[in-house]
Amino acid sequence: MSVLPLVIIIPLLGAFSLPIVGLLGKRIREAWALLISGATLGVTSKLLYNVWSTKETLVYTLGAKSPIGQGVNFPVRIVWEVDLLSAIMAFTIAFVAFLAVLYSIEYMKHDTGLEKYYVLILVLELGMLGIVLTGDIFNFYVFLEIMSIASYALVAFRNDTWEGIEAGIKYMFVGSLASSFILLGIALLYGQYGTLTMAYLAEKMEANFTLTGKIALAFLIGGLLFKSGAVPVHMWLADAHPAAPSSISAMLSGLVIKAGGVYVIARIAFSVFGMAVNMKTLGWVIIFFACLTLIVGNAMAVVQTDMKRLLAFSSVGQIGYILLGLGIGLAAYGTKVGEIATAGAIYHTVNHAIIKALLFMIAGVVLHELGTKDLNELSGLAKAMPKTTFAFIIGAAAIIGLPPLNGFASKWLLYESSALFNPFLGAIAIIGTAFCTAAYIRVLYTFLGRPSEKVMDAKEPGAAMLLPIFVLVAAIIIMGLFPWQISNKIMIPAASMLANIKGYVMAVMGGA
Amino acid sequence: MFGYWDALYFVYVFTIGLIIAYLLMKWAERVSSGTRRTGAGAKIFLSGEDQDNVIPQFEHFRGYFTGRHIMWGLIRGINRMFIAFRREHTGLLGDYVNYLLITIALVLGALIIWG
Repeated sequence: MSVLPLVIIIPLLGAFSLPIVGLLGKRIREAWALLISGATLGVTSKLLYNVWSTKETLVYTLGAKSPIGQGVNFPVRIVWEVDLLSAIMAFTIAFVAFLAVLYSIEYMKHDTGLEKYYVLILVLELGMLGIVLTGDIFNFYVFLEIMSIASYALVAFRNDTWEGIEAGIKYMFVGSLASSFILLGIALLYGQYGTLTMAYLAEKMEANFTLTGKIALAFLIGGLLFKSGAVPVHMWLADAHPAAPSSISAMLSGLVIKAGGVYVIARIAFSVFGMAVNMKTLGWVIIFFACLTLIVGNAMAVVQTDMKRLLAFSSVGQIGYILLGLGIGLAAYGTKVGEIATAGAIYHTVNHAIIKALLFMIAGVVLHELGTKDLNELSGLAKAMPKTTFAFIIGAAAIIGLPPLNGFASKWLLYESSALFNPFLGAIAIIGTAFCTAAYIRVLYTFLGRPSEKVMDAKEPGAAMLLPIFVLVAAIIIMGLFPWQISNKIMIPAASMLANIKGYVMAVMGGA
Repeated sequence: MFGYWDALYFVYVFTIGLIIAYLLMKWAERVSSGTRRTGAGAKIFLSGEDQDNVIPQFEHFRGYFTGRHIMWGLIRGINRMFIAFRREHTGLLGDYVNYLLITIALVLGALIIWG
């Protein structure tokens, strides 16, 4: 039996059984959440191994053996379709979500309403996993809404502060509008082509790409740029991510903007519209927004005094790099440069998920121990919290892209491909990194400075908070030691599988 | 793709950058009445006259020159950019919606014309 359905069944079952299991006691509830996210991590690693070792696209049809309808030669059933990119994303989501649940056990100890919290965190994970696995565009929308609604609720989870409520409401209003555009795009596609299966849509659009198809694509790209936090539709992110509890910020910045944003842009641009649309135009549209995002996101991070807000803007900046890689991958489709750029984007997606989860968890530790995230009050933290500061130094160095840490390899692939594609884009990427460096140097300068009175009696957090942090530090260092092996064996095959549009279509349509 | 020795390319670019910076400094010293060498520890300040008007968040920076010419203009330019960025975030829901509509319009225009 394929492990594919288990990736959705386990968190779904876990989330809805949690309130009942929770009746047995607080400890049992936490253990259940941990067990469920751990089991999900287990099945996603098996899924990743299966796809990676066979290099074949897995297809699972809901409720039947084949997606093709009886007596007809086109797919009528909901399919889940997993290539290497989907499997990598699913594994990253399960890995970071597991650590976030582990971290929450101590971090959320003093909060109330935790049965809702753990249900929502598992539903959030489920929504993201569904998005990366599905091969049906409406099914994607359903999972996108599951993910979005869980994240709206989690941003406003601490409803005793106005910050959380305001951010949650804004996020919900504008997020729903963006979702409506996505739904409108899907409706236009369905009206025009009469199918929702991505592979079949791709085939139909190749034969006849109409103006309606272009309008649908514009609505989808606009809505998805919003969901990924690209400039100029990034502002919700800077409000929402800092307002959420830090374990959730780690998932929002590390995963949600990627699974619900850049991953879907990649999937739609390559696998659905790739054979129909002018790839060069679509590529340059994404490059345009990527350059804006790169500069504005990183530069805005420099001027922040709130640590979590700084990290949120830094996420905007890093999304710029990922979009740049994707844009070049589209504009230079079919060339070596395009493949390297796409591989760099996928690699940076994974690296940024790990690094940003680590940095938000550290911000959470600081907030938990000192009650403030204002950088002006955190001077000299290194004296009182050396382990936390060490982890922060590793995270900051990795996000800037210093060797021998994981951020270096992915950023190098992106610099390399952008400089070869268009030197001007290479220069923009380097300027973005200069701002990024300035932002993190400021935080390090604060942490390593003269201790202020406030930080003198701070102490390191407990093991349940430090353990996930050091697992992420270890992941950053280990991935940093084998940059080219990971790139050649995992990321470049993932990029070439994504670029193999015919292969994606044939995996579903093969029997037709 | 880039080979091992291509890293030298960055050394080359850096060296050219240094030479341009040195020539700019010499030129500024020669042509201006304001820029002058005052030795290590000169404060970098926003106004050519007011030494207390230092650049926010860069108060600890010390240089070798004083005056209000190239360096002053450059730092002031960057500072103004950051001030503009800080003002950019209004937090108004209407703005968020406008930006979303503008983004979709841009993508739609590009795709209809060239897509």
